[in-house]
Amino acid sequence: MTSPARLGGLAEPAGPRLGRARSGRSPRAREARWAWLFLAPTIIGLAVLSAGPILAALGISLTKWDMLTPPQVVGVDNYVALLGDDRFLKALRNTTFYTLVSVPLGLVLALGLATALNQQIRGIAWIRTAYFLPLVTSATAIALVWLWIYSPTGLLNSFLGIFGIAPQRWVADPTLAMPSIIAMSVWQGLPGNVIIFLAGLQGIPAEYYDAASVDGAGRRSRFRKITLPLLTPSIFFTGVLALIGAFQVFDQVYVMANPGKPSEATITLVYFIYEAGFRNFKMGYASAASWIMFLIVAVATILYFRTQNRWVHYQ
Amino acid sequence: MYISLIVGGLAMMIPFLWMLTTSLKTRAEVFSSPPLSFPSGLHWENYSRMWFALPDVTFGTFFQNSIVIASLATLGQVVTCSMAAYAFAVFDFRFKRVLFSLVLATLIIPFQVVLVPNFILYRYLPWPFSESGNWIGTNLPLWVWAFFGGAFGTFLLRQFFLTIPSELADAARVDGANPWQVFLRVYVPLARPALATLAIFQFMWSWNDLLDPLIYLRDLPTYTTTVGLAFFQGQFVGKWPEMMAGALVSLLPMIILFVIAQKYFVRGITLSGLKG
Repeated sequence: MTSPARLGGLAEPAGPRLGRARSGRSPRAREARWAWLFLAPTIIGLAVLSAGPILAALGISLTKWDMLTPPQVVGVDNYVALLGDDRFLKALRNTTFYTLVSVPLGLVLALGLATALNQQIRGIAWIRTAYFLPLVTSATAIALVWLWIYSPTGLLNSFLGIFGIAPQRWVADPTLAMPSIIAMSVWQGLPGNVIIFLAGLQGIPAEYYDAASVDGAGRRSRFRKITLPLLTPSIFFTGVLALIGAFQVFDQVYVMANPGKPSEATITLVYFIYEAGFRNFKMGYASAASWIMFLIVAVATILYFRTQNRWVHYQ
Repeated sequence: MYISLIVGGLAMMIPFLWMLTTSLKTRAEVFSSPPLSFPSGLHWENYSRMWFALPDVTFGTFFQNSIVIASLATLGQVVTCSMAAYAFAVFDFRFKRVLFSLVLATLIIPFQVVLVPNFILYRYLPWPFSESGNWIGTNLPLWVWAFFGGAFGTFLLRQFFLTIPSELADAARVDGANPWQVFLRVYVPLARPALATLAIFQFMWSWNDLLDPLIYLRDLPTYTTTVGLAFFQGQFVGKWPEMMAGALVSLLPMIILFVIAQKYFVRGITLSGLKG
């Protein structure tokens, strides 16, 4: 009755007392045993689905493997080849461009919108629902709708036609493709950021504003001196999520480039990984690309955290 | 200010309105009438054409597949994340902080780095009922992972569990309840709003996911709505009314869920976002 007794403790109410008598250990040890039981699925998941695979990806990235024949160790060849692969470099450039434009743009717009929505006026709940709706939509369906908006006879060209602007090809135009995808993503990502900022705004005590008003501060200076500094923790946090999310952009590119493959104007890192691994079955090559992406995101996140002391004010 | 907020709200809604009006127009009308005009009649036949567009499967099959996958993933996350969150919130044990940091670290890891190794893992896991003999081509890789914890849910629920007064648990313990019973009888019932928040988010993420179903699903009858929709697009180039009908139908469950449960969405974002 060694291990079954331990399991028995789960079901019988008398279990804990029995356990104490048998193991003779401190309550702390018993507590730890319970903790590991509750954490068992999480620990297995961490080992088998996260930590293990990250290391495995590093190992696979040093091989040449099509999954039909055994993997061959090729050292850093994949990494060297990637740095000379034009399509990969384009993917890297496009993803960086996407991130550097969409993240700040999304944050600034969300900040303005959150300030506007943070008012007690009639019907504000309905107005907020309208602004929040894109939050729950799939990028796949939304990309389809925007593809139609961007089509030669679509909404955008008709609208610009009113002002005499010639129709553009948008996603089909190499220079406008990425900005078009960014516009769509910013629209879709807006609600998530706005919700975080709204919560941050609602956490600012009204007395601060009252005191500033007494001192004769105008709206603009109240925003600059009170709202903005007190909102920096929210901005910082939203920035991290947006940064990591932006590097993972895939759905929009997949849909907008379907049925062909994306041109070099819109290919992103994740698309490149998908294409290398699951269309061309170059597992080593795909893993090397994913490790480069992993390192870039890690370094970018660390650098971003480093800036924290300079501009984030914690109350 | 008020007016501009409403105008802005309408502007945010334009893609939805455009999707709706297009889905009710005839194909000829789409190209001849002004973009945001009302359709000449309600051409619901676009919806039935979309629904039955493919020879062997209807769009309903995709819907069903999405519901099954999203429900199982949601169940897994709610059960295992709440267990982990409980351990982190109430127990004291060695390596607690290290383990919690590790769980949180997975939040900032782009999951694409594990795409290839996980694919290989599932390729070696046997499954007698699939054509391949392994998990590839089945929906297993899309939900089994959910039964092994998750960072978002664990963090969200831990935050919530920490707000539950320990006196309640103490009272149950005096009555002879073991930790498992305290968890089920005290913590889970009190955390219902937080559990609902996690459930709603996980359901949405599974419903909207494209990359994983794209990699793992092979046959049309197993497709989810997102993959089905992307497949549609390749098949029905230029048939905008049908495509917009498909997009709208695929979004409808989430839109309804959002209108009903908006406060859970908002709470999920603010709870996990700010109380770090």
